[in-house]
Amino acid sequence: MEQKIAAQPELYSASADGLPALNGGRCRACGYVFFPPQRYGCEVCGALPSELEAISLKGSGVLNSFATVYHHQGKGIEAPFTIGLIVLDDGPAVRSTLTARTDEGLQVGDRMHAVLVPAGRSADGKEIVELRFAKEAAGQ
Amino acid sequence: MKKTLREMRPVYVVGIGLHRYQRLSETPYVTLGLTAVREALADAGIEWRAVDSAYTGTALIGMAASRPMLRHLGASGIPMAQVENASASGSTAFRHACLDVASGMSDVSIAIGVDKPGPVGSGPAKSNLRDLVGSRAVPFTHFALLTNQYMNRYGVKIEQIAAVAVKNNRNGANNPYAQRQKAVTLDEVMAGPAISGSLTRLQCCPVGEGAAAVIVASGDAIAELGIDRSRAIRVIASVTRTERVYRGAKNFDAELTRETVAQAYREAGITAADLDVVEVHDAFTIEELLYAEMLGLCGEGEGAAMVASGATDIGGTCALSASGGLLAMGHPIGPTGAGQIAEITRQLRGEAGVRQQPNARTGLAHMVGVGAVCVVHVLQKET
Repeated sequence: MEQKIAAQPELYSASADGLPALNGGRCRACGYVFFPPQRYGCEVCGALPSELEAISLKGSGVLNSFATVYHHQGKGIEAPFTIGLIVLDDGPAVRSTLTARTDEGLQVGDRMHAVLVPAGRSADGKEIVELRFAKEAAGQ
Repeated sequence: MKKTLREMRPVYVVGIGLHRYQRLSETPYVTLGLTAVREALADAGIEWRAVDSAYTGTALIGMAASRPMLRHLGASGIPMAQVENASASGSTAFRHACLDVASGMSDVSIAIGVDKPGPVGSGPAKSNLRDLVGSRAVPFTHFALLTNQYMNRYGVKIEQIAAVAVKNNRNGANNPYAQRQKAVTLDEVMAGPAISGSLTRLQCCPVGEGAAAVIVASGDAIAELGIDRSRAIRVIASVTRTERVYRGAKNFDAELTRETVAQAYREAGITAADLDVVEVHDAFTIEELLYAEMLGLCGEGEGAAMVASGATDIGGTCALSASGGLLAMGHPIGPTGAGQIAEITRQLRGEAGVRQQPNARTGLAHMVGVGAVCVVHVLQKET
């Protein structure tokens, strides 16, 4: 299988098989689970970076809210696209671009899962992939 | 032992002044700021040399904004500093002016808010923590998500939320300092253009330039300087807090507001029922509803119905955003929080003209800022 590169390798792993996982963190002192990962100190109890461990968060959760962006001034950002707030099964809430360009057919409470979608090629020709969330098909 | 503002010596707002909020122009920030300061000095009836300290709330101008502006009033050598606290910069500058007077270190202090839109760095951007959406999710989208969350949770339609913009633009139409001075219909608000989710342009505040200035003084200074005591408005609480960790998809600005307001009510010795005029951080229509609920002006999920009932109109139970709020008066960042204090003071003096809330005695000003921070002040007319 062709080797793929994550567009944001610090945030998720681009394993080609199965659900992509998010790179989260956990405080060994108080148990707080967080995303994105950081090594500065625990936001809840102030534990030192040495107490923070990297953990893998399942790329699955529930859609809390969504918004389709119709106008965006950013270079290379093509509207419309849709942003969702997803509460991960592992705890943290994350905002992510959804695979669906518009909100048609989306409902708050929908089960969502992470997928990796092509986002161009690197200088040496490898495929770059980006993490998005997609609505789970019924019965999935 | 810790003290609240009310347990220190009394602090009064004695002078207010503004430069109209407007679209970015060639006008130097110095001119904007001096216009507001001179108006505030004239309003108080005092000279610049009576001012003991100055705090300039500004987020976008850059380093060392105060003296290049204030030296043109006569360089009196007083302490001055810039206060940056994102959208709450002006509110925080006002808090520090109040603390100066309450502590006894100053008899008269001035808080100025002044800004012009421009590129600026930020702590969040420099903390080197990335998220999945990056620049794809700008503030519009953050608030569009909250709008979607609210509509779904309470079964509220977007037209009911957009009605906030109709009310606030109606108030702004009567405010000579407002950036938007034109009443709009619900159809006009809904007509778009759609920016993000259900948010249209008129459901988002304009960010332009402007200035606001507020002079605070002790009771001693009021007597010594011959200031009209009947127009002095007492500051009875000054509370600021920052975000804690709220789990899951909870809205941090609302939770932070809930905590800050609870402390402000406790320190002021009031409840929501005592409030006659309130200015909140209504940068987006949804925010006014969320903060009104956190203030306890109504129950959670009842904000849209309260706005529809007219209870938050001028002449209603509690006038909400009588100035036009951020939605109509505008949100030039540094000035905004100081401008709220100017509006509350004008209302409690009974000098707000066609915008006057009848018999207004107690008012509250609320700002949140990126970080997140929240600043709440309670003002009251002494009887």
